[in-house]
Parts: sequence; structure tokens; C-alpha cells
Amino acid sequence: MMYIEVKGLIAALLISGTVIGGFLGAARVVQSNIAMPSSKSGVQSSATKDPKVAAGAKLFAFNCAHCHGVDATGDEGPDLHKVKKTDERIKSTILNGVKGEMPAFGKKLTQDDVATLVVFIRSLSGK
Amino acid sequence: MFIATNFFDAGFWDRVHGGSTHLPIALALTSALLDSVGSIVPSGKFRESFRFSGYFTLLLAALGAVPAVISGLMLTNWDAVGSGVTLLHHYFVWPSFGLLIALVVWRSIVRHRTSRIGFSIYLVAILTTAVLISVAGFWGGEMVLNH
Repeated sequence: MMYIEVKGLIAALLISGTVIGGFLGAARVVQSNIAMPSSKSGVQSSATKDPKVAAGAKLFAFNCAHCHGVDATGDEGPDLHKVKKTDERIKSTILNGVKGEMPAFGKKLTQDDVATLVVFIRSLSGK
Repeated sequence: MFIATNFFDAGFWDRVHGGSTHLPIALALTSALLDSVGSIVPSGKFRESFRFSGYFTLLLAALGAVPAVISGLMLTNWDAVGSGVTLLHHYFVWPSFGLLIALVVWRSIVRHRTSRIGFSIYLVAILTTAVLISVAGFWGGEMVLNH
């Protein structure tokens, strides 16, 4: 290999590493400061103290907020603040969906993700 | 009613990400194809044209990848890792984006002053990038269509 190619390789690795590192670093900083969906019942402050609820809020923002609204008060999908279903029923609904109404997330989310989402949904009603 | 604060919600970034990702994927594949063809045609004007087109499409792919990555990060609330299919998508997104940037930098510095072995290594790298970015696109599609 020629000298210019080696020089190019070093520059390529440095710049590529900086760009990727910059994006991942920025993502980490922004994520740590990101606000979770607000709650009607004022559980936000206590929710942010619980890491599982905070993790559920992130999952909710990415997967559910499209239809249930960014504050989970409902949009296309229903308000989730006063869900009366059991935890198992909520998990089953998330995993299998509701025909014609809600998509199934069984292939997208893990069992742990779904359990975390249930914790977040429960936190919305202060339970 | 239109609410300004909802304009940049997940639904908006969903559409921007979907719209912006196809360009870099297509251009990376085209660049790999052009450089591959350029390496087998006899040296001369044809080879130069293929290599120039390969470089130009690679440059556009790298530039196009930046808004695609930013819109993806906005969509996931800056979660660069995620879980489930999102995690699989990210396993391929970050290496392919890194390779794309590295290759365009290398190509911009070296230009036509490549040795035979240097360009062969480059070809392997761009073909790897094309595969990685395609797999990333596949998992991205799975997220949209198969959930």
C-alpha cells in the first residue's frame, strides 16, 4: 500500500470514530436529560425516581405514543391512565394486539420490555 | 386542531426517517456496484468513469446518511441502542454508518492514487457496507411492517 493510502486510512478511522462517538455520546447525554411522558395524576416526579418506570416511559415514547398520545391520555388508542385490566391481560394485549385496532408487538418487544411497559402503565394511575 | 408542539412527535420523525433512509441505502448499493464494475472493466476512460461515479454516489450516500441517522435518533428519543428488533436494527446501523463515513474520507484523500491492493481492500469494505446497510434497512422495515 502507498503512503497516501495509509494516511487516508488513519484519517478515515479518526473522523469516522469521532462522528460515531459524537452521535453516541450526544444520544447518551440527551437520553439522560429526556423528559418522560407526563401524567394526569401527577406521578411523574415519583416515576422518574423509579428506574423501571423511566425505562417504561422510554419504551412507551418509542412504541406506543404514536397512538396513545405522548402523555398517554389517548389519541387513536385509548387513555391509559385508568386501565382496569390485569397485568397479564395488558401483557397479552401488547404482545398479541387487538384485531383491527392495535398491532401486535410480540416480535418487536421482549418479555422484559412488556413487563417494563406494564410497570409504566400502572404508574400512570398511581398504583 | 394543529398543535405546534406535536409537530415533531414520534409520528413526524417516523415519516422523516422512513423517507430519508432509502436514499443512502440505494446510493451505497449503487456505489458498491459501480466500483465493482469499474474494477473489472479494462483500464481507461470507462474505468475512470465508473470509479468517479462510484465515489460520487458514495459521497451522496454518506451525506444522506446523516439526516437519516439524526431522524432515527429523534424517533427513538435518542436511544442509540434500544431492544428487540430496534436493537437488531442498531447492530447494523452503527457499523454501516461508521464504514460509510470512513470510506468516503479515505476515498476523498486518496482519490485516484490507489494501489491495486488498496482498492481491493476498499472494494471488500464497500461491499461489506452495502450488505450491512441493507440488513439494517431490513430490520427497519420489520419494525414498521411486522409489529
